[in-house]
Amino acid sequence: MNQLHSFQAVPSTRNAFDAYSTLPEPPRPQSTHAPRAHTQQPIVTGTSVLGIKYEGGVMLAADNLASYGSLARFKDIQRLHPLGDNTCLAVAGDMSDFQYMTKLLDATLRADRSVSLTDTHPPFSPQNIYTYLSNLYYARRSKVNPLWNAILVGGWDKEKKESFLAYVDLLGTTYSAPTLATGIGAHIAQPLLREAYEAKAGVDGKGPLLTGQEAEELLDTCMKVLFYRDARSLNKYQIATISNDGVKISDSKSSETEWGFAEGLRGYGPQTQ
Amino acid sequence: MALFAPPPMYADPTMAADKQHAFNPYSENGGSILAIAGADFTVIAGDTRQSEGYSIQTRYARKVWQLTDRCVIATNGFAADGNNFVKRIKQRLEWYEHAHQKQMSIKAIARLTQTMLYGNRFFPYFAYVILGGIDEDGTGAVYSFDPIGSYEREACRAAGAAQSLIQPFLDNQIYFRNQTPAPGAEPFVPGRLPLSTVLGLVIDSFTSATEREIAVGDGLELYVVMKKGRTTDDLVGSDNLIKNMQVQELGALGEGGSERTFLVSLPLKRD
Amino acid sequence: MDTLVRQLSRPAVPVHGEDDEAYGNAAEWGSMGGYGNLSRTGAISGMTVPRVLDPISFLATHTDNLSTNPEAKIKLAHGTTCLAFKFRGGIIVAVDSRASAGSYIASGTVKKVIEINPYLLGTMAGGAADCQYWETYLGIRCRLYELRNKERISVAAASKILTNLVYQYKGMGLSMGTMIAGWDKTGPALFYVDSDGQRIKGNLFSVGSGSTFAYGVLDQGYSYDLSDEEAQDLGRRSIIAAGHRDGYSGNTCNLYHVRENGWEFIGNYDVSQEWYKYNEKEKKALEHAGKAGVQGGSPMAVEA
Repeated sequence: MNQLHSFQAVPSTRNAFDAYSTLPEPPRPQSTHAPRAHTQQPIVTGTSVLGIKYEGGVMLAADNLASYGSLARFKDIQRLHPLGDNTCLAVAGDMSDFQYMTKLLDATLRADRSVSLTDTHPPFSPQNIYTYLSNLYYARRSKVNPLWNAILVGGWDKEKKESFLAYVDLLGTTYSAPTLATGIGAHIAQPLLREAYEAKAGVDGKGPLLTGQEAEELLDTCMKVLFYRDARSLNKYQIATISNDGVKISDSKSSETEWGFAEGLRGYGPQTQ
Repeated sequence: MALFAPPPMYADPTMAADKQHAFNPYSENGGSILAIAGADFTVIAGDTRQSEGYSIQTRYARKVWQLTDRCVIATNGFAADGNNFVKRIKQRLEWYEHAHQKQMSIKAIARLTQTMLYGNRFFPYFAYVILGGIDEDGTGAVYSFDPIGSYEREACRAAGAAQSLIQPFLDNQIYFRNQTPAPGAEPFVPGRLPLSTVLGLVIDSFTSATEREIAVGDGLELYVVMKKGRTTDDLVGSDNLIKNMQVQELGALGEGGSERTFLVSLPLKRD
Repeated sequence: MDTLVRQLSRPAVPVHGEDDEAYGNAAEWGSMGGYGNLSRTGAISGMTVPRVLDPISFLATHTDNLSTNPEAKIKLAHGTTCLAFKFRGGIIVAVDSRASAGSYIASGTVKKVIEINPYLLGTMAGGAADCQYWETYLGIRCRLYELRNKERISVAAASKILTNLVYQYKGMGLSMGTMIAGWDKTGPALFYVDSDGQRIKGNLFSVGSGSTFAYGVLDQGYSYDLSDEEAQDLGRRSIIAAGHRDGYSGNTCNLYHVRENGWEFIGNYDVSQEWYKYNEKEKKALEHAGKAGVQGGSPMAVEA
């Protein structure tokens, strides 16, 4: 269910300009006395995001595209959002809800920082931020007024000296695992992530974890595979590394792609027979 | 049935168009839960897989939670609703403890669960709830609920994706349904099975459900609540441990010194 | 209707701090905090209603109350045969014990007679939770009446409290068809109350998916002058017959007898076992009468 980036499959007859319904439908006017309804469908969207625990931290990956239906509308959008010194979000789904949510969280963190000047309480742990997000998203779905996102929270808990990786979405569904992927990534990238993770750490996860370099290479592979098959993706993405040293968000990068196979493929290239 | 058929309001075509686009606040996360009451113990179990459709979201998500020294809750259905229901009920139990300097009895928790579920009668929690524990006179108790709060005390109950696989097996093994004692043998009396037998039934239920139900698997968490003063040898005795099974005692939440709760975990198949 | 929905749902406040979901007052902890969704005074203190344009069709879309909406994920327990009748010796109340969700038998051990207090019984048909919850709540109201008026509530008044309660929710999807039986100053009294808001006084009722089968046996054998044993047997037989023929009813029969000193639980009977017992009895009776030619007559057959 929860397809974060799918719209009408049937061409709309109303609008010749958008004959194949590649643009999202504008929200219909609501009756004035009824309860307010907000995001009932996402408009400008980001596709899947990935996350993996590695030796000494967590890595998240997200591409730089914000789509408007099937239109690749904004191609320089950062979907990784650092919060405090050792937490980072990777966000899929509606971009306006993403901005609203980060504004809310940034404000909360700012308020906390100003209070922490006068006392000595510890900063928000990744778990604290995740709990806040889970409660926010569940509360909004319970008002039937969801924030239309799927989020990965990656972090390094300085107190416990351990990594943190968890998921929350527009329904308030929560879970945690050593490798995570949202949306189409859950179908295409998650099997690759799990395979590589378990190959080293074992099925019980008790063995050694991937090194930072191995994890990054794995994410590069996954982003490439996603770019090959996810029609709403872009070959320009960033990786966030969260460790004891803090949050580092890489510059945008691209994968080397190979399209030579298309030549001999019927129905792919210019040939028609 | 026709006596109480609701008016077919969702047959209205204008609404059907709406329905296509309307946000659906529910999902289903698979898994199964199970509880069996004994004479002086109760076993409450759940698998640890959380899924949506054909995707496994995680191989470890808890469905069973300790509420008090003598009560454990398990939820199944929509995980977000289940988790938030447990959160709410824990809060109410904490308030009760502050007000009355004691933990709530399982009987009272059952009634509280009913009123809390029914409070959402018009926007239900999609959660099947089972409570298990020890009642005020020291006997094992299982209470099972539907999503809007109708409830009943029973000797055993299975819920969730594998409910229809496990419950008939339990009816046969716990209630001795459709069994006839051998000529001259003692008649069957339900509710007297020893812990080792019950543990075996629970584990077999889940390993078998894992074979036939895709939404069940990965791991099993099994809580055993024991009556005050009861022997624990039949659980922690080393010869009772099967391969990869781990047993840990959970510390007292309240004053302590009475009932004891153990958490048994073991792996299930992951395919 | 819409007015009620608006009253029940919280006002549509614009979301700012995301914290408008104020859950009670911190000063109302513990004993001052009420109980479940009951406030300290015992009033129902607000039911959550989904904030959508049409809460009723929202509920209808997502729940399956009566196996009429198999798409819905939330399946609620239902299905029943209940009966009650007045006779010289008081009131007989008999019910089955099956709850189904779709074609699955969710339970075979449901207590469909709700013991409101020692003098009042309610039966359960339709939604299990609706009946259980509101009849339990009725018990609270009856006890409060007793404390305030220093006498027991009449069955007429009790059943009217229930009708008025559920009538407030009319059209919102509650489903209950119940009989309230008891003994008060006026003697035995029996009322049928349902979620449409109906309230009927009567001498004989049967409710639920198996009611027609029960009526068949009941009408055939009913007389006001039945002895206690005959009346109990008639109630039991009627439920057994319904349990045998109606797929949504069965498992066991619970039998109650209301007399001047309150109700008495007579027993729990396995439907299959009793059916064959009656069958056996019938055959023997026929053989005894020398009508060996009549084979396999129904145990519920009209007496010659």
